Amino acid sequence: MKNFWYLFAAYSTIWTALGVYMLRLSQKNKELQAELRALQVQIEKALTR
Amino acid sequence: MRTLSMLLISMISFPLVFIRNNSIYQAIVMYVVMLFATLLVFIYAPNEQMQGIVQKIFYFHVSSSVTAFSAFFLVFVASIMYLWKNAEWWDAVALSAAEIGVVFCTLVLITGPIWARPIWGTWWSWDPTLTLTLVLWLIYVAYLMLRLDAHDPKRSRFAAVLGIVGYVDIPLILWSVEKWRTLHPKPVLIQEGGTTGLPFTMLFTFAVCLVAFMLLFFYLLRERISIIQSQHTIEVLRHQVDNLPTG
Amino acid sequence: MSGSKVFLQQVLALLAKDLKTEWRTREIFTSMFVFSVLVIVVFNFAIGADTELIRQVASGVIWIALSFASVLGLQRTGQMESEEDSLQGVLLALHDSSALFIAKMLAQVVYLLIVGLCILPLCGIWFHIDFIACIGYIGIVFVLGILGLSIVGTLFAMITLHTRAREVMLPMLFLPVSVPLTIASVYATAQLIAGMTLRDIVDYISLIGVFDIVFFTLALLVFDHIVEE
Repeated sequence: MKNFWYLFAAYSTIWTALGVYMLRLSQKNKELQAELRALQVQIEKALTR
Repeated sequence: MRTLSMLLISMISFPLVFIRNNSIYQAIVMYVVMLFATLLVFIYAPNEQMQGIVQKIFYFHVSSSVTAFSAFFLVFVASIMYLWKNAEWWDAVALSAAEIGVVFCTLVLITGPIWARPIWGTWWSWDPTLTLTLVLWLIYVAYLMLRLDAHDPKRSRFAAVLGIVGYVDIPLILWSVEKWRTLHPKPVLIQEGGTTGLPFTMLFTFAVCLVAFMLLFFYLLRERISIIQSQHTIEVLRHQVDNLPTG
Repeated sequence: MSGSKVFLQQVLALLAKDLKTEWRTREIFTSMFVFSVLVIVVFNFAIGADTELIRQVASGVIWIALSFASVLGLQRTGQMESEEDSLQGVLLALHDSSALFIAKMLAQVVYLLIVGLCILPLCGIWFHIDFIACIGYIGIVFVLGILGLSIVGTLFAMITLHTRAREVMLPMLFLPVSVPLTIASVYATAQLIAGMTLRDIVDYISLIGVFDIVFFTLALLVFDHIVEE
């Protein structure tokens, strides 16, 4: 298979880039959801006091 | 002509933006289609006789390109809607689409040279479509830089203007770059690298790859938009917390 | 009818104000002109002593000089407004805020045209190019091209007025978007220098024309969104 490594380079770039991006997005989302919940709890506690 | 058809195809998926939330079901569908697409690329699609195995880069390269155009079209529409309706959601769509568009655009600019090197013998050849992609990359990276300070409401409007201007510029850039290209000697091609007259197997593979990338694009879009919306909600809640009666 | 007359008066008044202020100090024009000359001279050194090569790239060098000078001029013009914080005051007095856009754009056109006129003879001498033979047609290309640069430039200048990294953002926005204009202007000028007639460059001129019309319309449509508080 001539030029196999070019093929490998292209596909691995695509998958690494997309994978990293997806991981970043879901991580950010999880962090934000956690923060959101913490704030909501805080507000609820203050209101029911 | 090829670029024009890519641009037209990229506009078709636009209605998908109205699906607001990511479900586990959508994630599974996307994963399965992507898996299927990869399978097709490596097993089903035949090896092109002139270019050999490297030609397979094209499936994901062109799909990324169409996805990037789709993203930028979305920025265009979302920018217009934002200026018109002043709704935060459209601004979130614009920013998300621009960011994801730049990601796919970068992939096009990386995989393009990786394909070109063994086929044409050079890393870059100022091919009209690739050059258009480069200029678009510059414009939308500038868009993202303009958005860095995202909380100034005027900043969103400025970015919306750029989102509109950038897309309107595309036909002009295309026209001028194609004219410019005719003045430059093409590189001495080791092998011709064309995609005309594709057999059905290749066309089918292309189609599935395109669908897979579109599903991925809208999945990423929804994730990114929900991040922005969460950030807004957090701000609102923080504001509430600060104003809570104490004691 | 009276509405458009008022509009025209406002545009001319704003334009006159800008030009008069500039005439007093000639700051903007001088910096634009000197910078253009610098660009041309440095390019000359960078390209080497090959006269034939320089003749071929002369058109590109001229338009690069004009683009960069345009960025310079726009930054200074924007700075003037923000320094005195007079923008809001001017807008209040205006019927239609696009008068401000047209006035600023025309001011930029004037500066660039004068700079262009000044560097042409210099380029003729340094690059051994006979501009006089095609001066009429080159004039057309210059006017249309400079118009385009000014339209896009003024639009982005107003946008980047209050951004943090203003010096970087303006060229970052302006240069990629004006690529079609740059390409068409450079090659139209190059072909004219090489002795072609207007007929040969018709498609370049129509590209520049379309560019100008499209972006002028777009700018007018969105300008309100840019300046309203």
